[in-house]
Amino acid sequence: MLSVAPWLASPPLSAAGTLYLYNWNNYISDETVKRFEAHCNCRLKQDYYSDNEEMLAKLEAGAVGYDILVPTGNAVESLVRRRALRPIEKAQLPRLNNIKPEFLNAWYDPGNRHSVPYATSVTLLGFNADKMQELGLPTDSWALIFEPKYLERIKGRVTVLNSQRELMAAAMRYLGHSVQEHDPQKWGEAKRLILRAKPYWAAFSNSTYIKDLAIGTIWVAHGYSNDMFRAQQDALAARRPFTIGFATPKEGAVLAVDSFVLHESGRRPDLAHQFIDFMLDGRNAADLSNLIGAGNPNAAAMAHILPGIAANPGIFPPAPDLKRLEMLRDFDPKLRRALSRMWTEIKVR
Amino acid sequence: MTDIRSRPAGLTKWVVTLPPGLFLVVFFLLPTLIVVLAGFRETGEFGGLAPIDGLAGLTLDAYRFLLGDVIYLEIFARSFFVAGLTTLICILLAYPLAWLIARSPKKRRDLLVLLVILPFASNFLVRIYAWIMILGPASLLYTPFAVIVGLVYTHLPFMLLPLYTNLEKHDPALLEAAQDLGAGAWTRFWRVTFPLSLPGIFSGSALVFIPVLGMFAVPELLGGTGDILIGNLIKEQFLDNRDWPLGSALSILLTACVLLLAALAAWAARRGLHGTEAVS
Repeated sequence: MLSVAPWLASPPLSAAGTLYLYNWNNYISDETVKRFEAHCNCRLKQDYYSDNEEMLAKLEAGAVGYDILVPTGNAVESLVRRRALRPIEKAQLPRLNNIKPEFLNAWYDPGNRHSVPYATSVTLLGFNADKMQELGLPTDSWALIFEPKYLERIKGRVTVLNSQRELMAAAMRYLGHSVQEHDPQKWGEAKRLILRAKPYWAAFSNSTYIKDLAIGTIWVAHGYSNDMFRAQQDALAARRPFTIGFATPKEGAVLAVDSFVLHESGRRPDLAHQFIDFMLDGRNAADLSNLIGAGNPNAAAMAHILPGIAANPGIFPPAPDLKRLEMLRDFDPKLRRALSRMWTEIKVR
Repeated sequence: MTDIRSRPAGLTKWVVTLPPGLFLVVFFLLPTLIVVLAGFRETGEFGGLAPIDGLAGLTLDAYRFLLGDVIYLEIFARSFFVAGLTTLICILLAYPLAWLIARSPKKRRDLLVLLVILPFASNFLVRIYAWIMILGPASLLYTPFAVIVGLVYTHLPFMLLPLYTNLEKHDPALLEAAQDLGAGAWTRFWRVTFPLSLPGIFSGSALVFIPVLGMFAVPELLGGTGDILIGNLIKEQFLDNRDWPLGSALSILLTACVLLLAALAAWAARRGLHGTEAVS
């Protein structure tokens, strides 16, 4: 594994040094990287993770030398509480006011002392638009994956995320509860709703649904907006006789905000600040939306984002939608174990 | 020890066994002890483990939680069934093939073995995705059948190679002798080849059965909504649910079951071998 200290990887080429970024896969384009390297006269090295927990576990195990991480909200909170982050020096980030106000001052980091928002995604429903129209099914509600009267017509053509938190959050929203609910009784309702719908689902899938939607074997998938964007692009590129659509259910959904944070073990906080400010530039920030269809918390980026992407409410939730979106929060160990027990029951029954 | 001549041999033995012994202690024994200990600790506020000071902080909560609930027992039973079925199918598929390779001209054997191993030079996930492509259009994807296919496919060589190594060593003179004594083809197989190949079957079965128990990628990618194995459950505790004590307790219970089974198998194998000795 790459958990060997990253500074051993290769000696810096120039006097300006190397910046180490621990990032999600495919979360910054090669072009942007090259542009930054030219700008700072330094090198940018990346390691990748596919899961917040994977990143947290590696840091917990003692990995050091990463200047910047890109955790989701609840992981930011966890890192702050573990005192693993270096405070942001706002004086070094003149472009910080490019961030849309609704993404500043989040519950996980009041006053943005440690984090600068970078990208957003919504957990929503992706669907085969032609099939849905043909069958006359509603695509704007979680009812599509929870109500037997709709599911009867798409039995075996639905996948849902293989994630306890995400799937149960969808059920909670459909039942009118908060995804941050602490009452086990209400989570029990969500479990029963899921068990009633499960016989109609084909599989729990975290990644295969992108391909399944794009080739047409699955008609409805519960998943992340940027994945749906990819399925849509893939279907388009393969000239399929159908199109893939995605929409945020009207009952509300889960919003994920990934932010840049500085790890306390980083050796180049100066370069790290330079990088964050560079990425706050509208043109650089826009690459992310254009490349992977991620939502963008950067107001200055909007002018550089392709119109079709900027106008997509699944990627950029309009203000009224945004009010119905909630972020996942970590629970205490007792509730975590109770939810895990429900999830196991969901899997076994 | 008092015999002067045994000393150099003893020293050589130490020099030879120390490095692998040390390796096992550092990379197997210590991690296992850490897992055992983790199973008795409390979950941290943000996942992982809560800090402890002294033995007073240890708790049986994770074990109580697991053993007090029939649902976890169900998953264990199901996983053992799936692993057993996979092993059985692997034996049935690998035996004729191993026999055929062992019987083919010596020059061609290495090539045939190579052909068996060749697909495994490509990445595991790529091969599983290939099965998604094959099973998807046939409407067999996301079924228990798909899981068994994936498990058998990925573990077949681990059955085939020990079987082949065993069958290759059989002395043809034994079969000729059996024929001279009037044994038909079926009797020759059941009374001579099969008993002699039992060690191969046992080691192959161990190499298939145990990894299948811990497998989580295949059920996750090929399985439907009900296909969960212990491997998935353990992975979930560590990665998704951040409940290390529960995950550790599950791992330990699994290890205990496997060890028990291995002991039983070893015992059965020894009895089986004694049995054949008695016959011969």
